[in-house]
Amino acid sequence: MTKQTFNLAWRLFKHEAKRGELTIILLAIILSVSSVLSLSLFSERLQSALTAKSAEFIAADRVLNSRKPVDVSWITKAQEFGLNTAHQVYTRSMAFSGDNMMLVDLRAAAEGYPLKGAVKVADQPFAPGQATSALPQAGHAWIESRLFQNLGLAIGQYIDVGDKTFVVSKVLSEVPDAGFSVFGGDPKVLIAEADLAETNIIGPGSRASFSYFFTGSEADLNNYYDWLLPQLDNELQSWVSVSDDDSAIGRSIAKAEQYFLLASLLAIVLAAVSIAVAAQRYSQRHYDPVAIMKTLGASKSMVQQVYLLQITFITLLGIAIGTVLGFVIQQVVVWALAGSVDVSLDVWFWRPLLIAIFTGAICAVLFSLYPLLKLFSVSPLRVLRRDLGASLSSRFIQFFASGGAIFSLMWAYSGNLGLSAILFGSGILLVISLLLVTFGLIWLGRKLGQGKMGAWQLAWARIRRRAMDNAIQLISFAVTIMLLLIVLVMRNDMIAQWQNQLPQGTPNYFLVNITQQQLPDLKTHFAEENVDIEHFYPVVRGRFVAINDEKVSTAVSKEDEEAGQRQGREGLGREANLTWSNTLQHENTIVAGQWFDTNDPLASGLYGVSVEARIAERLNIQLGDKLTFNVGSEIINTEVSSLREVDWQTMQPNFFFVIQPQAMQGYLPTYLSSFYLDKSRKAEITELMKPFASVTLFDVDARIEQLRDIVKQVSLAVEFILVLVLAAGALVLIAQVQASMDERQQELAILRTLGAKGRLIRASVLFEFIIIGSVAGLMAAFANEISLFFLQSQVFEMQAALHWQYWFIAPVAGALVVGILGMIGCWRLLRLNTSHLLRQMV
Amino acid sequence: MIKTSAITKTVNTTQGELSILKPISFEVKAGESIAIVGASGSGKSTLLSLLAGLDEVSSGEIYLDGQSLHSMNEEQRAQLRGAKVGFIFQSFMLVQSLTALENIILPAEIAGLADAKQRGQDILEKVGLGHRGDHYPNQLSGGEQQRVAIARAFITKPKILFADEPTGNLDAANSDKVERLLFDLNRDSHTTLVLVTHDSELAKHCERQLLMTAGELSDITPSNKTPDINVPVPTIQSQVG
Repeated sequence: MTKQTFNLAWRLFKHEAKRGELTIILLAIILSVSSVLSLSLFSERLQSALTAKSAEFIAADRVLNSRKPVDVSWITKAQEFGLNTAHQVYTRSMAFSGDNMMLVDLRAAAEGYPLKGAVKVADQPFAPGQATSALPQAGHAWIESRLFQNLGLAIGQYIDVGDKTFVVSKVLSEVPDAGFSVFGGDPKVLIAEADLAETNIIGPGSRASFSYFFTGSEADLNNYYDWLLPQLDNELQSWVSVSDDDSAIGRSIAKAEQYFLLASLLAIVLAAVSIAVAAQRYSQRHYDPVAIMKTLGASKSMVQQVYLLQITFITLLGIAIGTVLGFVIQQVVVWALAGSVDVSLDVWFWRPLLIAIFTGAICAVLFSLYPLLKLFSVSPLRVLRRDLGASLSSRFIQFFASGGAIFSLMWAYSGNLGLSAILFGSGILLVISLLLVTFGLIWLGRKLGQGKMGAWQLAWARIRRRAMDNAIQLISFAVTIMLLLIVLVMRNDMIAQWQNQLPQGTPNYFLVNITQQQLPDLKTHFAEENVDIEHFYPVVRGRFVAINDEKVSTAVSKEDEEAGQRQGREGLGREANLTWSNTLQHENTIVAGQWFDTNDPLASGLYGVSVEARIAERLNIQLGDKLTFNVGSEIINTEVSSLREVDWQTMQPNFFFVIQPQAMQGYLPTYLSSFYLDKSRKAEITELMKPFASVTLFDVDARIEQLRDIVKQVSLAVEFILVLVLAAGALVLIAQVQASMDERQQELAILRTLGAKGRLIRASVLFEFIIIGSVAGLMAAFANEISLFFLQSQVFEMQAALHWQYWFIAPVAGALVVGILGMIGCWRLLRLNTSHLLRQMV
Repeated sequence: MIKTSAITKTVNTTQGELSILKPISFEVKAGESIAIVGASGSGKSTLLSLLAGLDEVSSGEIYLDGQSLHSMNEEQRAQLRGAKVGFIFQSFMLVQSLTALENIILPAEIAGLADAKQRGQDILEKVGLGHRGDHYPNQLSGGEQQRVAIARAFITKPKILFADEPTGNLDAANSDKVERLLFDLNRDSHTTLVLVTHDSELAKHCERQLLMTAGELSDITPSNKTPDINVPVPTIQSQVG
């Protein structure tokens, strides 16, 4: 390359940039880089913040659970790998206070626990807890509020656990790794690990479990796991990470992550579309300079070098500005959300930056490739014959190159072939449908646009004449609208689903162990105190013992597993809460069989049982199976009459097994219920429960707040991403209208010269854009529906539904937005006088 | 300087082959100025495009300064244009994103001339636009744009100059100015001029006039023809050459 070539390219770039000739393509690159950078940087930071937050729910980044103590070398090895470690022993034992006793969940924590999250303590039962970094001193125990209630204790009094007496020094409000099960746990007692031995409750045969907590970098954690894996005994040990978290929070985060990914992918597609539009325009505007240069003796390679250099300059400038802008946008959003979303700005993520630069460069190169090839093919003869365009013309190459580029970018970026294929597939479907519709429309237009030449007829005439150009324009409008619709509808559906999980008034207290005698008094008392309780569920504790008379066991040996045989089927491994009712709980759905609609036994003579679908799948329970339960010394045989899907994320009492009431006659149940008490009345709870000392109260307010907090943060982040994608989409639409305005300039100039009134021209352009906008909107609604169906059912595991409202909203919004943008562009051109307009065309 | 031998041009249309130029043979001597006149659509611009190597002949031979243009590919023709040919067009064909001076020096840069800028400055002065070098084409009047185009055409001191309706887009006063400038510079630099026009008055300024009618060329030069215009434009004096 000669110095002159470089200088020429640089000079052209400088002048064109100054004169605004490069604005659109530069904006497109800036848009792609900044949106991809801000989106992925923000989502990466948010994800890391959320992962850190969810790590608090297991009190570490990884946990090794074991039924026996692990070799101390495993821990030293972890430390060698650079990990922080801590451990805790769990067991169940009786706690005594005078004549009172209760089964408790005893936790003996060693120094360092918890590695993530915090233990919260209070000085009064049911008072809000404060985080503490300390652990109970030797001889001290921190116990949960309800244990104070059940054992009639006060701070400073004593409890006995095994052979050791502990002074109760704090109310244990919260431990990070409490889990989300409302009924699973006995009241927790936290002691120092050093005191455990003196209790003498851990011995051969005792059911203790040992948790080892680890934190550190992902790489160190993975390296350690690789070392540890061969030594793990699957029967005894399990390795838990945050991603295994199947709680409401875990699922919300997973969905949000997928949404971020989706939004980022769509941002890439939007950016690609805008670059493609801009590059096309750029190429067309340079036909003359190329023809002139060739006429003046420039060789093909010189022309190529000049324009490749120009594209390189534009790309570099676009990437530089886009990077700064993207970073600023992200920073502004993080600041704006500060208080609500806890995103750390300390960590700089290189991946988003690299992705953004890569996207900008790939988009700029691949999408300008075909327009540039066209540009290079412009004949010098154009200087004499102005109607001569580029000689290279292959829509196939164009679609193939752009399509291939978009798909590879999506796949490379997401690493998710399914998601990329769904989005890309629906895009292709949209393109094909649009081509058909456009030509159908043009055919229709022949009929609609007949008659005296008014604005309406002019609009149709233009659409008809520029059939292929309009088809392409329509496709790019429709793709943009579709992408915006997907992001919008997914956000709406997802946030609605999250909010439905925890509507206002979600029960924040659970009552367990209400006896038959207490029930009427409790109902009256709560009514007098203006606390609503809707439903009381009768419960008996029972052991699930056999399926089809085959005994179930809790353990499955490794050898049996390998041989594919099982001696005895897998069971629950613990007592289940059995309830009975003739009414199906409203958040339950029958997925197989039928709910009990009579009081009669089934054909087999047994009464029915409805089993929760996921547990049925885990235990391989089928409709019609005979299930046997053991309640006290009694045996209850039932037949599976239905399978139910239960939304466990609703914080409502739910049951694995609901039995036909007739089968349970004669059993004395206790009752279980839940109620909502406003935060402002929290202080009344002790008074409220005073007459019912033996009833166990669970306070799940903190858990609900945690859930709400996360949902709120994730929702806000999703909102931000929506706004960003909408802004990107709007810019793309503007670029498209701008580009199409150039093409219309000549026609407007001619119409103007021939004396057409501004009103007629404006109205005809408005009609044309309204027609294009509404058809694009309609097609987008159609493609959106198909994409959403696959996205929601296959990727997001949500219930896919039709979104009829968008079949109306999208065409109207499309017509409005495209119409207005078209009018603005047209208005700008019509403001220029005719000779200026004609001169601009030269 | 230019020699053609039975050149033709035919194009394929939906109605079959269309002959635009019938076999044409003629010769232009070095330093000579010729005008090709004719009605619109007679084929004169097509002939120009073939002579300048912008398009390929369907048959026949063209020699430009002794080089066989008809056997060259696009790259070789571009090289030849860069080295020996200058152009002036009806629609000026200036690069809109370059200033007047940059447009003028464009061919010199393409040809790799080291003193391109100096040459540009000089010739800009000669065409009377020394103070408008930094202006963009759309900031100049039609006459000024054509003067820039003329300066661009002469900067590489071409042996042959092709002008396609150089005054076609100008009013009478500007036409006059441009005509004088064109012929003065041409005379001073001893360039061979091929002028295509439908303006018979303009054509009279050339030493020879050829008439194109429906793709056929005939010499209509009156005997003992002397160019009408030879009065130099004051600003350019005799500095060219």
